[in-house]
Amino acid sequence: MAYHTAVYLALFLPLALLAYQLAPKKVRWCVLLAAGYSFFWLISKGLVAYLLGTTLFTHYVGIWLGWMKLRCRTEAEQAPKEDQAEIRKQYKRKEKWILAGGILALAGVLAWLKYYNFFAKNLNALMEISGSTALLPAKDLLLPIGISFYTLQAIGYMADVYWEKVPSEKNLGKLALFLGFFPQIMEGPISMYAQTADVLWEGNSLKGENLSKGSVRILWGLFKKMIIADRLYVLVRAVFDYYENYNGIVIAAAAVAYTVQLYMEFSGCMDIVIGSGRMFGVTLPENFNQPFASRNAAEFWRRWHMTLGVWFKTYVFYPVSVSSAVKKWNKFGRKHLGKYLTKLGVSAIALFPVWLLNGLWHGPQWNYIFYGMYYFVILLGGVALEPVRSKVLKLWHADEHALYWRIPQILKTWVIIFAGELFFRANGLRAGLRMFESMFREFTPQKLWDGTFLGFGLDGADYLAIGTGCLVVACVGMIKERKLLGEEGLQTLRTPVRWALYYGLILSVIIFGAYGVGYQQVDLIYANF
Amino acid sequence: MDTLMKILNEIDDSINWEKEKAVIDDRLLDSFGVITLVSELEDAFGIEIEASEMAAENFNSAEAMCQMILRLKEK
Repeated sequence: MAYHTAVYLALFLPLALLAYQLAPKKVRWCVLLAAGYSFFWLISKGLVAYLLGTTLFTHYVGIWLGWMKLRCRTEAEQAPKEDQAEIRKQYKRKEKWILAGGILALAGVLAWLKYYNFFAKNLNALMEISGSTALLPAKDLLLPIGISFYTLQAIGYMADVYWEKVPSEKNLGKLALFLGFFPQIMEGPISMYAQTADVLWEGNSLKGENLSKGSVRILWGLFKKMIIADRLYVLVRAVFDYYENYNGIVIAAAAVAYTVQLYMEFSGCMDIVIGSGRMFGVTLPENFNQPFASRNAAEFWRRWHMTLGVWFKTYVFYPVSVSSAVKKWNKFGRKHLGKYLTKLGVSAIALFPVWLLNGLWHGPQWNYIFYGMYYFVILLGGVALEPVRSKVLKLWHADEHALYWRIPQILKTWVIIFAGELFFRANGLRAGLRMFESMFREFTPQKLWDGTFLGFGLDGADYLAIGTGCLVVACVGMIKERKLLGEEGLQTLRTPVRWALYYGLILSVIIFGAYGVGYQQVDLIYANF
Repeated sequence: MDTLMKILNEIDDSINWEKEKAVIDDRLLDSFGVITLVSELEDAFGIEIEASEMAAENFNSAEAMCQMILRLKEK
């Protein structure tokens, strides 16, 4: 029951809304929680035990940390002033161990379920090369849907309690709801406890404004998914699954097509998710902010899968950056190497774990690890070349906000994104490398219009629907980027214009959506991560 | 405050540190700049800035940084 299916949109969501509104305010959180666990059960059956186990464990660690903090405060208050700092230091050390244990346990479960077979396969291959027999047998491990998302939320909550950003939650139900809100279970967005826990708990009545805005957002998501992404899926699969048969422009076009497919699919799903949340009066964090308007790879990652980026920045990048090892390097570097090399070294140390984990988070495949390392190198290159960029700007008296400077930068970023997504989608790293290399062979642009692309399961009308759909999405993106409609968005338009747009959206999904004979329902890509 | 302003201007003299209230939110200073700033502040004021302090509200303005420094010095 994915979010774009009729079962979810026409049955599950309306029933959940109805039950929520009919329930007394005090127990509405129970309705949301029951809906979350039912949703999980319908998708993953008994694997719901993992979500429950994670919730209980996270609750316990939170309580433990909270208790330690209370004891620390009490003991410090009662102790002589000169001993207080030492008491706090001792408790901090103990709390650090509790947090580390909590993170290791949750990450350990994720690693076991997600990476055991990958690790075993690679270790066995190494053993075979050295002439030994296989060491680790493959196991039949079932991965609960959404584990990569709710595990990050749980780790974030524990760290926030440790840092005293939020108090430890005594109410198990509230924490369970934070980890198991049904619109977020499959693909995020990854929210922090302070962002959604309270509003989920409040149980405010449904409001007409929220219902209508939520519905429009859901329709917009369906537009992206059904008109563009599900059509591009046909072309992408045809090329990526039989990549040996293609080269040059076909591979390049497939890389672009996959990037667009992934964006329309994932951001479309996020529109449905955020729209669903909005209907209950819950504002979920945004995950996309016109990523194709980015001028460099760093900006791209601030606009693409934003909640994952914020999570890595908050819980990996900054903690590594201010760790004692990095601080020591910083001191040593500034004394012996100068500011530039020191900054480069710190950036490398802080970025490496972020991008290794980012690659691994997406799945147990070498091409995902390569994808992570690809961005590590590009982002580090960006830091390394920053002085050169500044000098060029100064030398040419160039205005970095002017179109002549911005457009080439945006186009350069597109090339970086498309190449990255080629490896991301490829059926393994070897296939990705082969596809990348074959892109430079027999690069004949004529194939774009000589009918070659009509052999991939899409006809002229499909390409027209994709092109028009992309144009509409690009126009909406530009309006948002330039804030042409202000904060109120569509509400600023006159009623007849607004309703014409609503009807246009509904009719375009009904008429141009990719379903019926010849199409198959396409699973959500990120639900598999 | 003078020492802080000197450090901030050394990090990036194109930012109007006296007036700017959203250095992080408006992305005038990126994460790498923040890391460099952290080590400068630690050295200059003899404080320890932990990961829990790495929040936009602590670095959005010179005033916010000043408050954070005073708070950490009291610890």
